[in-house]
Amino acid sequence: MFWQLVVSGLATGCIYALVALGLTLIYKATEHVNFAQGEMAMVGAFLGYTLYTDLHLPVSMAVAGAVVLSGVVGLVIQFVVIRPAADQPHFNVFIITMGLSIVLRSLAGLVWSHDEFPFPGLFPVRPVTFGPVVVTPLNLGTIAVAVGIMAGLFAFFRYTRHGVAMRAVCERPEAAQLMGVEVRRVFAAVWVLSAAVSGLAGALIAPVLNLSTHMGAVVIPAFAAAILGGWGSFPGAIAGGMALGVIENLAGGYLAGQIKNMVPFLVVLGVLVVRPQGFLGEKEIRKV
Amino acid sequence: MRRAMGWLGVLAAGILGLAPLAGAETGVTDDTILVGTSQSFSGPLVFPGTEEVAGMEAYLEYVNANGGIHGRKIKWKWYDDGYKPQNAVANMKRLVEQDKVFAVLINQGTSPVLAVVPYLEQKKVPLFFPFQGSSRLHGKKYVFTSYTYYDTQTQIVTRWLLEKKGFERIGIIYQDDAYGKFFLGTLKKELEAKGLTVAAAESVKRGATDVSPQVAKMAAAGLDACLLALVPGPGAQVLKEAAKIGWKKTKLISSGPLTDEKFLILSGGVGEGVWGLSLWPDPVNSPLPAMKEYRDILKKYRPGHEPNRYNLYGYFYTKLFCDGLEAAGRNLTRDGLIAAMESMGRRENGIINPASFGPDDHQAQDDGFMVEVQGGRFVPISGWLAVRNGKLVETPLQR
Repeated sequence: MFWQLVVSGLATGCIYALVALGLTLIYKATEHVNFAQGEMAMVGAFLGYTLYTDLHLPVSMAVAGAVVLSGVVGLVIQFVVIRPAADQPHFNVFIITMGLSIVLRSLAGLVWSHDEFPFPGLFPVRPVTFGPVVVTPLNLGTIAVAVGIMAGLFAFFRYTRHGVAMRAVCERPEAAQLMGVEVRRVFAAVWVLSAAVSGLAGALIAPVLNLSTHMGAVVIPAFAAAILGGWGSFPGAIAGGMALGVIENLAGGYLAGQIKNMVPFLVVLGVLVVRPQGFLGEKEIRKV
Repeated sequence: MRRAMGWLGVLAAGILGLAPLAGAETGVTDDTILVGTSQSFSGPLVFPGTEEVAGMEAYLEYVNANGGIHGRKIKWKWYDDGYKPQNAVANMKRLVEQDKVFAVLINQGTSPVLAVVPYLEQKKVPLFFPFQGSSRLHGKKYVFTSYTYYDTQTQIVTRWLLEKKGFERIGIIYQDDAYGKFFLGTLKKELEAKGLTVAAAESVKRGATDVSPQVAKMAAAGLDACLLALVPGPGAQVLKEAAKIGWKKTKLISSGPLTDEKFLILSGGVGEGVWGLSLWPDPVNSPLPAMKEYRDILKKYRPGHEPNRYNLYGYFYTKLFCDGLEAAGRNLTRDGLIAAMESMGRRENGIINPASFGPDDHQAQDDGFMVEVQGGRFVPISGWLAVRNGKLVETPLQR
């Protein structure tokens, strides 16, 4: 049972990791906390669903389309509601994104209704047995795609000009601007990238959770994952997401009813007390 | 818009001197009856809520198009409570004190419903057929309830499994809230009465992402049967997970509210062989004439809505309410309607067993039947089952 729980925990954890990655992207670049990240994932999944059912695209194309359209949604959001408020205190922007999450959920309800829908999996669900572990290609595919995306993002930040520019803006926007980086354009690009990654997360988790307007709640474990791994750290978001998924499942498998729901958050709490910067976060030292 | 027009109509009637005659009942004029409700048009129960209302409106429009009841058209006013008890109470006050409705019809959700009942009882405004299954509304003069209480449903299923199927090791996966615990509590009591215990129990929290730990534990418990006291999304996840790990030795059994077509659609075809307790005939496929009539009326007046158990509920219980209005006669009062309902007797409805009310019995349905998923549909595998005088009784289904 142990390995069984670990593998399916990793699959869920990858989703948390992707959403946490989206959160971290925006936070690193703009220091904004985007509470609507989960709803962006939900809207992305619905867009993919529409491509699949109304335009009859194959699943892979529909998911790819969902990623692209999510990016567009991210761009629109950044342009319409975030940019005008960019100079305001971060807390105001946080409240704006909170409002945004409610608006997105209600809009999705108007367009697609608040019903639940079965979402086609990118991978088949026929189980495969590896020794004591039964997994579905859906589980494995989710892990593979998520890991692939994470590796791609890593390479992007490391080796491409745009990636380096983004990192520069994340580190110190003023200095980056002085070096000739278009900071506003980078901010927009960050939102596009973050929304696209979340849209992918939405399309990957929808076959498991079923597609509904409630799906945005995934932002809560994603927050926990990002904090667990170290708020503001990319590898931390990924490690935190995976760890949270596995912890959740093991607690569910080995602990009694009421306790298991608390465990993931107790772990987060514990980590914050013992190591406030998370697994992989850097200690913030301010010189006075 | 239609709602607003309805209200304008009532207003216009007042201005034109058709105001209620002295002594007439609140909410009743010469040619209208005003009913109202507070429903979920947002929040977690928005889908059941909007569907129930679609069924209600379809039937009311059908009645109005056919001349109304004793010459009166039925007008309505609905408000949204988003499944929040405090909003439900505010809406009820608005309906009773400002809009002056005659009666309240089909609100939804255990907590919002329980929150408004004391107020309605105090104001002596009758409440008809709230969509909820807790037995705490039993024995209230101004409340008529609809379907089999959750505890009775669990009694029926447990006794059927023990007595008819000879099962002994029974477990449950339940939603970790008041709804799920209703089922868990009764299952415990029922099994203890027979000297048995709940063999395994696992909870699923609302909005859970992965049910694999729960399913793995239940599969390891060596059960004869496992009840599912869940809502369709997580219920379907349990079926998928069970199929994935090849958990076949245990019969999975859906509770009444879960026995719903949505549950099967979401599970994507892995539900074959699952049992469940059903309170209704199959809304989509049932060949009963009264069910065909329901589908026709729904299609004509609410064409965007596919037949399902929620709009069937709205339709059926609105119809039962209208039967009561019919029986109460032209001289309509709240107490008169209650008295008429109580003395209506057993009246065939062609869909479920006849509802009959009395001064001590305001519950419309107290039974259900077992179904098995065959070819993606719920097919009956028992007659109507009820627990009467402490015994499980079975009567044939309508054909």
